[in-house]
Amino acid sequence: MTDKPIVVIGGGPAGISAAQTACDLGAEVVLIEQRGFLGGTPIAENYASLTPHMRSAEEVVGAMVERLTASTSLEVLLDAEVTGLSGEAGAFALDVAAGGAVRTVDCASIVVASGFRHFDPGRETQMYGYYEYPDVIALQDLEAMLKAGDVRRPSNGETPKRLCFIQCVGSRDRHIGNEYCSKVCCGVASKEAIEVREAIPDCEVFIFYIDMRMYGYWESQIYWPAQERHHVQYVKGIVSEVLAKGDKLLVRGEDTTMGRPMETLMDMVVLSVGMEPSAGTRKLAGILGVEQNKYGFIQAANPPLDTVSTSKPGIFAAGAALGPADLEDCASSGAAAAARALSAARMVIGA
Amino acid sequence: MPTATPAHYKNDSPAGFPDVDPGYKHRLFEQVMADHRMPDYIYGCYECGICVAVCPSARFYDFSPRRIAQAVARQDFELVFQQMQEDIWECSQCFSCLRCPRGNNPGGIITVMREVAINEGLATAKQALEGYSRIIYKIMSTGTQVSPDMLQPDAFPDWGPEVKDVSVNLDLWRRALPPETHHTTSTGWSVSERTLIELYLIWMQTGALSMIKDVDEGLHMILEEVMEERLEEEGIEI
Repeated sequence: MTDKPIVVIGGGPAGISAAQTACDLGAEVVLIEQRGFLGGTPIAENYASLTPHMRSAEEVVGAMVERLTASTSLEVLLDAEVTGLSGEAGAFALDVAAGGAVRTVDCASIVVASGFRHFDPGRETQMYGYYEYPDVIALQDLEAMLKAGDVRRPSNGETPKRLCFIQCVGSRDRHIGNEYCSKVCCGVASKEAIEVREAIPDCEVFIFYIDMRMYGYWESQIYWPAQERHHVQYVKGIVSEVLAKGDKLLVRGEDTTMGRPMETLMDMVVLSVGMEPSAGTRKLAGILGVEQNKYGFIQAANPPLDTVSTSKPGIFAAGAALGPADLEDCASSGAAAAARALSAARMVIGA
Repeated sequence: MPTATPAHYKNDSPAGFPDVDPGYKHRLFEQVMADHRMPDYIYGCYECGICVAVCPSARFYDFSPRRIAQAVARQDFELVFQQMQEDIWECSQCFSCLRCPRGNNPGGIITVMREVAINEGLATAKQALEGYSRIIYKIMSTGTQVSPDMLQPDAFPDWGPEVKDVSVNLDLWRRALPPETHHTTSTGWSVSERTLIELYLIWMQTGALSMIKDVDEGLHMILEEVMEERLEEEGIEI
């Protein structure tokens, strides 16, 4: 067994999964998190429930954190930031700034799980007015309302009677530069749509989409129930702009199913923002010297069957640092990266 | 009834028929949705278009089973009303659209919409069925649809010159057919007395006969007479 620890950077679902796996396999683990708490974006951004099983984010992620922090071979550094790297696989020295001091952590290998951030709707090139109209919000804003059990129009505090989601905001767009699909927003929007219908039964809920991407079981877990049981109205056609009309929002687009232009009034508009590499992911890629793809995510070096190796030996990546990922992807790639990090460490020792 | 304009379109009455009371449209929609078959006919539509791809009517008309399923799924009662004026009569009820991967049955939805249109005596239902008086008469009075003796030399020029040849010795031609049940000229095939009486009972008891009343009063009168008379002979009272 290697005597040097494995470092996991990022304490979200992928990082927790990686740290847990490495601990379970008998390694010493140092988990570095820039925020003051573990749990990552689901906790930081107030997710109400997780897609597709709709269990409370706090409960599910909380249980992960609880189990991990009970490990005796784990050291957690909170409010900590990686500032430099030297050495090579098997003998890395990582500079970590925490609590006003910089400390060097010696480690055998590294797992980067620095995650994503929600696309900033201020950058979208349609005209949805996220920063202009209070009733235009984003997926995570609605999550926070659902978590608080209080979905209201920010403009006047009224309960919405008509609410719509606009899909693919910041994704699949050449103008913005994010040509990729963010993978989870169709499912998340549908999940939130169901939750709104359950919370406010007389609120009509619409989803305007380019195409619904409900891979695998999400189809029957979320999409079909949303349509069949909760009567969420899916309208194929994307919205070109949102305008104020009285105290409502006028949504303009094409109803491609019926083959005609469409204008309709909404009380609230929810932008289904996609995923972008987090600031941490971008910065770490530079510090660690791992290749990024054109979108800034960390490039998996040997796709398709090796999903967690980076361009640099001894450094592995997991979760949404590699690109859009759902929680199951994050848990899986976290565990895979940990196992690979450990085997890399052992191979170096054995060599 | 929903108060907001349900629709999603520029015009306030995008579905047409702006003069028709929305309350009436909504009542018809509710009737369609209340039909006990509907839960099996519409689940949700993801617009794959297979129903349009297999639809023979869609090749000849501006007709789309997908739009029918979508309008009902969206509970767009204005649009459903519009479709009850026109689209539903363009369907040939072949049910090719049952290939829907979601298990929807657009043809079945149309069946229900047609029944509501007929029961409500919509003008378009009358119009659509106008040309079919003779067929309705044949089906309801004999239990068979087109009968060989409808093949008159000049009746259906678009059926080709053979019609004329066949119509000359119709009885002989029919006797040349192997199944004896086809040795008929005034019905499509021979229908037993018992079957006919059962059919009359079904037409009368299920309300199928009274559906015709609003559409074609004369036809309804004739059929009712034929059926009542026959049933009376059998000593059956309705």
